[in-house]
Amino acid sequence: MEAKARIPVKLHRRVCLIQTEDALLAEEVLANKKLAQDVVGRLADRVLLIRPGRVEAVLQELQRQGHTPQVMG
Amino acid sequence: MNNWTERIPGILKAYEPDLLRAVAGRLCKPRNQWPIEELIERSIATLENTPVLDRRLRELAQPSRLVLALMAHSQQPRWRIGQLIEMTVALTPDGGLEPILDLLEAGLLFPDLPEGETINAFNMWLAHGGAHRPPAVIAPPLLLERLLAGYREGAAIAFDEALPPSTTLLGVTPLETDGLDWPLRLSVLWQQVSAAPLRRTQQQDLFKRDLDRLHADPLLATTSSDALVELPDPGMLAVAWSQALGLIENKEGDLVACAFDESWQDGLPRLLVRLLASLSDVAFWNPAQGWQVEGNVGNPYPSAYLLTLLLLSRAAADQWTRPADLEEWMLRRHPFWAAQSGDGAKSNGASRPPAKTNPRTGRSATQEPALAVFLLGLAYPLRLVQIARDPAGEPLVRLSDLGRWVLGLTDNPPLQPTFPQTLLVQPNLEILAYRQGLAPDLISRLGRIATWKTLGPACTLLLEPTSVYRALEQGETSEGIVRLLESRGMKGVPTPVLEALRTWSNKRQRITIFPSAALFEFPSAAELTDAMNRGLNAVRLTDRLAVVPAEKDIDYRHFRLMGTRDFLLPPDRCVEVQHDGVTLSIDLSRSDLLLETEMQRFSELSADFHPPGRRIYRMTPATVQAARKNGMTLAGLQTWFLERTGLPLSPAAHLFLTAGEMPPLDLRRQLVLHVPFAEIADGLQQWPATRDLVKARLGPMTLVVLEKDIETLRSRCAEINVKLQHGDE
Repeated sequence: MEAKARIPVKLHRRVCLIQTEDALLAEEVLANKKLAQDVVGRLADRVLLIRPGRVEAVLQELQRQGHTPQVMG
Repeated sequence: MNNWTERIPGILKAYEPDLLRAVAGRLCKPRNQWPIEELIERSIATLENTPVLDRRLRELAQPSRLVLALMAHSQQPRWRIGQLIEMTVALTPDGGLEPILDLLEAGLLFPDLPEGETINAFNMWLAHGGAHRPPAVIAPPLLLERLLAGYREGAAIAFDEALPPSTTLLGVTPLETDGLDWPLRLSVLWQQVSAAPLRRTQQQDLFKRDLDRLHADPLLATTSSDALVELPDPGMLAVAWSQALGLIENKEGDLVACAFDESWQDGLPRLLVRLLASLSDVAFWNPAQGWQVEGNVGNPYPSAYLLTLLLLSRAAADQWTRPADLEEWMLRRHPFWAAQSGDGAKSNGASRPPAKTNPRTGRSATQEPALAVFLLGLAYPLRLVQIARDPAGEPLVRLSDLGRWVLGLTDNPPLQPTFPQTLLVQPNLEILAYRQGLAPDLISRLGRIATWKTLGPACTLLLEPTSVYRALEQGETSEGIVRLLESRGMKGVPTPVLEALRTWSNKRQRITIFPSAALFEFPSAAELTDAMNRGLNAVRLTDRLAVVPAEKDIDYRHFRLMGTRDFLLPPDRCVEVQHDGVTLSIDLSRSDLLLETEMQRFSELSADFHPPGRRIYRMTPATVQAARKNGMTLAGLQTWFLERTGLPLSPAAHLFLTAGEMPPLDLRRQLVLHVPFAEIADGLQQWPATRDLVKARLGPMTLVVLEKDIETLRSRCAEINVKLQHGDE
């Protein structure tokens, strides 16, 4: 059987990000001043990059806002 | 105990060769001069050889056997040497350090050495131990098991003959608890710590806010309804005990919750063994004074607990003992109190607060063992002892069947009746848990999914969004919770409860946080799809990006890494500005995840050809003006250029960004005077007669003159014989 070619890819390690169910929820997160300070970029409508080292603070603030985020990994 | 088995080879490697040869000489009696590695292997093999161990035990002197027997009955293979000395001195005139040294030299006890420490003589090692790190020893688990087996076969260890008096009571019904009180309390404490960690001061005390929280907690601060006496600071005991058990741990000064370990899965008897064993590691609490952070050096209670239970074990099964008689025995025999009774003013902790005085004996709390509090307030709720009242109403104690098994005195624990259907889930989200059906595994699971509200013959819990969220975060699933409630419930789970569980569970799916993920960036959507088809366990974020929650799950055989970037590293210079000042070329091998999101704020991906390994973006007036509208400032863009390109902001970009703020540009008709040398231009600008007629200097040899001043300039120049002419003339 012919071996498949390897897929070229760039790997970003130790990335901290939030994925929301919809874009509106991401907007809601960004509208919160405390959370917005810890968001350094938006990779997609539903994907926000978190400032390194601020995951715990973001998690606590989301919980304080009444969200129940699922922590993966 | 397996953990200790694994540690012993490492400890033997820390022995200096001469010491190791001496120890191995007694343990495995080699006939030849073996290399060190061989000696260690043979020593380990001996410690796993039952007949040889039995022989070595028979060879031991009685005080040395007593040390091992104490450790065996405690079912705790690690003890501080000071505590062992206290117990042996209390039990025999030959007790003290000698038997422990004998066992160390015989290879039947091992020093609990920190990683990397070596040892060349046991007495030197003992001399280096201090109050901050009291020396402790470890016994091989099989050795302790052999001793207990010998005890059960009738080879009892010798105790001092002067045991506390015991008595027979006729026609009394012994009182015995279900032993669940402390597992329940520890589960409550675990919930409290899960909700908010406890903060420790540098002195190892808790901050006032947390102390107040524990003192005010309605479940933790009150003495158990099972207890026959009031236990001091029960909430703080729960903290100290949980830490000794590994249910909570110190993490950078905070006490945080850990997972319930496997001892909670093995039934109540096994958990009670763990609870009793870990009681010897409980720091800063004792039954006389409660929570005591200061002056806690030389806590005599761990040794007193075990001695007390062993003294009870020496009485016949139907004999009862007065706690006061046990206290009297301890006062005379235990070196901590015996020393103090000789000199009443001498106290172990100089900074201890004044203790209450016992009206019966006239002694302070530090001067007499509070064994009645331990027995009636702690051992009784743990189901280690039974209680009866004498005709005068005074409580008497004896070991329960379970207590005998916990001390290794019987082969099997008493059979426990089981009541699988013990929960009643109510539509208002309350769970009623009847005690007779509870067991440690159910307590730990219920403690994860619901909040304890009351503890009693029937405990109540409440299903809450936060408790269900906590359970889901710890690996429970919504279906698993429902299965538990249905399988252990007396009735089906009401519909409102099912709906609430489903709603809370779905709500958790709305936001996912990846705290430290591996993110794959593919050149195009086709490669991403190919990777997913080959089994990459990833979540697709965009058409080119996919996130893998755990990097260890990646099968790298399918991938060729074009670059690796750590998200935690600072930004790198990986962008080149082309000569036009608006074209930006990214070096893809060095770029990070943030770069393109940053660039998309003020530039757009070029539709032109992208050279291999590079991606081209272009700034246009529209993209830069859009960035400006979205809040990008000149200073911000300048900083970005310096960080990412190593160059100042390009003039073109500067123009695009500031164009909107500029006044209208002034378009004027004027003449340019060209002179052959720069000095001539300097002269015309300096000579007062012509100075005011030169409006600007465009270059070294070009000056600006207004059309209306031409004739005046011409006449002034004529005075110095310089003629002006139009270039087109």
